[in-house]
Amino acid sequence: MMKCRRVKKLLPLYVEGDLGSNQAESITAHLDWCGQCNWLADEYKESQNWLRTNQAPEFDQAFLDSFKSTVMRRVEESAVRPSLLASIAQQLSRRQVLAMSGAMLIAIGMVLFYIYQTRLSVKLPRVETAKQISETERAPGDVPKVNVDDSQENPSVPNKHSRHQPNQKTHKPAPMANLEEPPLFSQVNRWNELGTTNEVAVTPRDLKDDSTEMLRIEIQTADPNIRIIWFTPKIADGPQTNQ
Amino acid sequence: MPYEVAQIALMTDNLGLCDSPSNSVAPSLTLLIERAKAGEPAAFEQLVDHHQRKVLSTAWRMLGNREDARDAAQEVFLRVHKYLKSFRTDQEFAAWLYRIVVNVCRDHARKHGYRHQFASFESERDAGAFEELVSNEDVETNAIRSQERALVAQALATLSNKERAALVLRDLEGLSTKEVAQALGSTQTTVRTQISSARAKIKLYRDRALNRARRG
Repeated sequence: MMKCRRVKKLLPLYVEGDLGSNQAESITAHLDWCGQCNWLADEYKESQNWLRTNQAPEFDQAFLDSFKSTVMRRVEESAVRPSLLASIAQQLSRRQVLAMSGAMLIAIGMVLFYIYQTRLSVKLPRVETAKQISETERAPGDVPKVNVDDSQENPSVPNKHSRHQPNQKTHKPAPMANLEEPPLFSQVNRWNELGTTNEVAVTPRDLKDDSTEMLRIEIQTADPNIRIIWFTPKIADGPQTNQ
Repeated sequence: MPYEVAQIALMTDNLGLCDSPSNSVAPSLTLLIERAKAGEPAAFEQLVDHHQRKVLSTAWRMLGNREDARDAAQEVFLRVHKYLKSFRTDQEFAAWLYRIVVNVCRDHARKHGYRHQFASFESERDAGAFEELVSNEDVETNAIRSQERALVAQALATLSNKERAALVLRDLEGLSTKEVAQALGSTQTTVRTQISSARAKIKLYRDRALNRARRG
């Protein structure tokens, strides 16, 4: 036996015969003795009859004829009017279409190449820094000895040497910074092992501030004409210079 | 040819949506569709001729005013012409057509909003597009019917798009739940849920309107 709550939920479907036979029979049996649900069912039936007073309008023949002619005209227009590409292709010979396609492919290739070059040039300064140091290493009789203070020996320091990307988050080592790291510090270690007389002095005196945010590092090589200067952003929580 | 046209008119008077579970399109309608597919304008014109009333009235019930209904119905037949080649003859043409109608009306409502929707029937009739439905009845009866139609139109406007489409197709166009589900591209269970909710809302709207009328 169905309960009133369940019947009330199903009544909107029951009044139009949208329920299965079992459910419909159960509701019919319920409505035989439940006056409240019976009254609600009548309300739904009246509501449905009221809804059907919204009869579809009768369209007069003149309106329909006008409608049909408009539709047929628009259909003809759409059939006659080719797409943009088709209309261009119709005006050109096959050879011209092929030439245009080739030109477009070349143009797209050039644009892609330009974008690739532009992205590459953004990374270029880092590469140059590494190159400079490796060139310094290769110079004959110019292998320097490095006196690096504690802050320089800390592995977290090289990550701060990304002077060309001041916006980069320095607390997480970026992939490019990791790529930079080996040539710089492996060279420093090798220079220490060689124990050469040439000096590259990085002292607290040299680590002086040019601004409140950037740290200036100067390295004087044995050649007085060559001095490596680079700027690095200061990090508040990282190891600082001993000033 | 006239016999064929009359036969199609009989079969598709209710857009061919009979209660039988047959999914096939009637032979002569199939022939007409095949001819229209082949690019015969006269065949397509016959298709338009035999379905335009239903398409227009359905669009009018979905959108609520003459201008939008006419624009939407035109778009429906343009889409029919465009995609007729993809129609398979084992499909139910009426369900396919109703699906286009529902989609076009939904797109139209989304594009143009509901600013002018559900104008009263009399405003539509005064615009000169429709025939006088009850020309011999007295003015008072006409006024009452006019008010009721406007109320029904407003009640339909309170439904969501999906609920309105399901209710219009099921209760006003007389499709079965299965056919409505085909037309809306959903399941019968979903359609039943939408119809149930829509009927409850319509009843609630009517109850409130009656209460206001009693108090006023």
